Formats: sequence, C-alpha cells, structure tokens
Amino acid sequence: MSTLKNWQDLPYGGVIVEAGSAAKYETGTWRTWKPVTHREHCSHCLKCWEYCPEDAIILEDGRDSSGAARKFVKEVNYFHCKGCGLCVRECPVNKDGKFVALGFVRDEV
Amino acid sequence: MTNVTAGKPKIVPITGAGACAQAMRQINPDVVAAFPITPSTQVVEDFSAFVANGLVDTEFVTVESEHSAMSACIGASAAGGRVMTATSSAGMAYMWELLYVAASMRQPVLMTLVNRALTGPINIHCDHSDSMGARDAGWIQLYSETNQEAYDNLVMAARIAEHPDVRLPLMVCQDGFITSHSIQTMQLEDDKAVRAFVGPHKPYHSILDTDKPVTWGALDLQDYYIEHKRGQEQGMRNALRVIQEVSDDFAKTFGRQYGLFEDYRLEDADIVLVALNSAAGEIKEVIDEMRSKGEKVGLLKIRSFRPFPYVEIGQALSSAKIVTVLDRSASFGAHGPLFTEISTAVYNYSPNQPLLLAHTFGLGGRELTLRHIEHIISESRICLDKGEVGNRQGLWVNVRGDKL
Repeated sequence: MSTLKNWQDLPYGGVIVEAGSAAKYETGTWRTWKPVTHREHCSHCLKCWEYCPEDAIILEDGRDSSGAARKFVKEVNYFHCKGCGLCVRECPVNKDGKFVALGFVRDEV
Repeated sequence: MTNVTAGKPKIVPITGAGACAQAMRQINPDVVAAFPITPSTQVVEDFSAFVANGLVDTEFVTVESEHSAMSACIGASAAGGRVMTATSSAGMAYMWELLYVAASMRQPVLMTLVNRALTGPINIHCDHSDSMGARDAGWIQLYSETNQEAYDNLVMAARIAEHPDVRLPLMVCQDGFITSHSIQTMQLEDDKAVRAFVGPHKPYHSILDTDKPVTWGALDLQDYYIEHKRGQEQGMRNALRVIQEVSDDFAKTFGRQYGLFEDYRLEDADIVLVALNSAAGEIKEVIDEMRSKGEKVGLLKIRSFRPFPYVEIGQALSSAKIVTVLDRSASFGAHGPLFTEISTAVYNYSPNQPLLLAHTFGLGGRELTLRHIEHIISESRICLDKGEVGNRQGLWVNVRGDKL
C-alpha cells in the first residue's frame, strides 16, 4: 500500500507544514555503494560522523581507557545513507593504509 | 489605514500606468518590490511617491534587478503579505525563472505588465511578446483595452488571485505607450469602496508564523512534483469560475460588467476579428463603420488569456463564418499564440467550423490604423466568398514588402 498522497490532499505549492519531516525521507534508496564499518580497526575519532552530510553515522555512549565518558562509532543508518563515500574518504585509518576501518562495497540491488 | 477618502467616484484624466498606480494606492499592499523599466516606469514612480508621502502603509523594496524584484515579491508573499509589482519586456524576461517559482509556490503576487516588445533589435514600444512568452509560466493573464479596464482589472486582481480555490499570481496587461502613456478619462472609484471590495489578505502557511514552522521551496522529485503541478493546473481551471464571480460582484459594486471576453456585435456576425488590448478600440470603430455599409462584422476581445475560456469562446464563435485572429506577437515558425488558442476553441467546442485566418501585426509598436483594419476585413470577406483562406494565411499586416 502506497503512503503517497493524491494531489487533492496536498497543501498548495509544495509547502511542508511539518517541521523536521526530512528525517522521514529515505535517501537510502539513492545508494549504489555503501560504507561498511570494521569496528576492530576503528579509532572512533568521529571524523565520519563529522563529515556525513546525512547524519547517518550512529554513535553510542561508552568510556575511554581512563574511564571518561565519550562517544563511539556504532553503525551506519542505511535508511539515510545515500552512499556518497565521504566517510570512507575522510577516515584517517583508511588514509593511513594499513587497515580499512570503513569499507566501501557495491550495494545489493 | 492611512489617508482613505470616503466619497463618490471621480471622473479623472489619467494615463494607463497612472491608473494602475492609483489602484495600487487604493489596495494598499503590504509589500511592493519593483525595478523601473520603460514603459511601466510610471506605475512604480507614482507609487513610490505615494509611499514617500505616507499615502500607503506599504514596505517599498527598491531592488537592483527584476530577478530580485520577483524574488522579493515571492518571499514577501510566502511571509503572508499582499504583494504587488510592475514591469515590462526585458524586465519580465529577467524575472522568467521566478515567474514559474511564484506560480508553482502558489503565491498570489499581483503584477501590472505594460506590454513591450522583447529586444532584438532593441525597441521600447508595444507588442505582446513579453506576456505571450510567459503564458506557460502559470500566471493568470488579464488583458485591458483601456485605462479604465487596466484599473478595473487590477482592482479585481487580488480577489481572483488570492481566492482559496485559485491561489495563483496574476498579471494585468496593458499596451505600452498606447495605453500606459495615453491620457484617457476614466472613473476612479472611491478609496474606501475599493478597499472594502478588495478586502483583507489571508496569509497561507506564512513563514513568519513561528508557532507553526513551515518550509517553502523544498526539493520536489519524481514522487510528488507532478502532483503539485496537477494542483497548480486545478487552480487555473478554478480561476475561470472565480474570475467571472469576482467580475459579477464588481459589476454589482461599481456598475461595470466584465466577462472572460467581450463580444462586440458578434451575435449575427459573419466575419469575426479576435484581438487583445488596445487594438480592440480601433477595431470597434471600423466595425461600426462597416456595419453601416451592411458588412456583418464583429469582434471577440479576449480578457482572460490564462486561463483560456475554450468552451465559452467556441460557443461565442458558433455562428461565425470566418474568424480572423490578430496576433501582436510572433511565434517564429508557428502561427501566433492567440490564433492557436482560437483554433483549439473552434475545433473542439464550436458546433460549426468557420474559416480561420491568422495575421500578425504591430510588432515593436508598428501602428494598426483604421485603414489597415478595413483592409483586413475586406480580405476576410474575399476569403469567405472564395471559401478558403489560401495564401493569405499567416500574412503580416502593415509590413513593407508584404501585401496586407
């Protein structure tokens, strides 16, 4: 069942009357390549989270070696990730070249 | 409200541009953003004096270009204001992108368009290439033969454009110089009566309403764009009814009745001329003269070109034997835009099929004299007697090197 509305049910002129509704838009359907996290190599520097234009890097709470609270990279939100690859390119671990913390693989159709 | 006179209507001598400026003063819009361009300059010039003299409450935005003028109009309209502007020719061409934005965002911006030729070679005089080029932009287009009609159309404009079933921008067109700079006497209605007729503006999802935040102008892709366009088209279809309703109410209030078009001595006419704007005045003069000599000739003058009243015009032309359409703009490689619309109306909605004859005239202000109109009617008569238009089809009028 389609949730898309008929023209008669739309407000005029494409006005969006609900704040923050962009979060409901599945930009994930645009993706042809997808980033994949390899947490065993991730330094949790959060560069990927910083660069992601869709806010699609999901973080989680944790503690560093000294016991202080900090954020860690958890996973990619594929509902919003449109596969631009910015995170893969900016990842310092990837740049270093010894390991791949963020892989970039052909997405399944 | 500032400085509203209450009293009787006045008969005043005024130019077409001045008449529209007066209508703007009486409407007292929230925002006017405009950039002066010949021959529409006097509209904005007069109005800026009203602003400076405190006769209106309008925020007058002086911009650096027409692109900015229309952008400011759209923004102000989305903010919930009643918004007006004026332009001509190249000025409107510079608004092109924004004309579409205003219409697709359903912002009822009101414009006085003083028709002027588009450049190439540069020319400041009248033809309809500017508004005809913009005919697919989604604006309602009302045409005006006289100063009175330009004024009346602008007084009616807000109620048509802002009607909840319509919500579309509207341009009132008049002929550059011929109408805009010619002083005619007309009835200037009382300020209070005009403001009462126009009524208050009701904003639609204003971006200034911070309790209900909205987004205007968001990206719209394959999943919704065409639905929004379909809604826009419905606004235009509804406008046919609303234009007539507002015109009927205008007639009740001010005594002058307008339709979607004017039929002049049409009921028994064999030969029907079709025209827009000021040329209709001369054509009526010639019709009266030729009628007295026994030629059954009439005029159909289009007021609403967008939306185009196909059904009504098809009916109105149901007893005509030849319909000669005078286009004041050229669509190079095709017949003029008015001719193609009339052909559509006749073919689909008229019970009989008159001959159809296309003529182009008056580009860049070239005059159309009474003699030319007489000649066009005589040529139409020849076509009618022969039963075909033959090689007269598509001739240009009063062009050196062509016969007509």
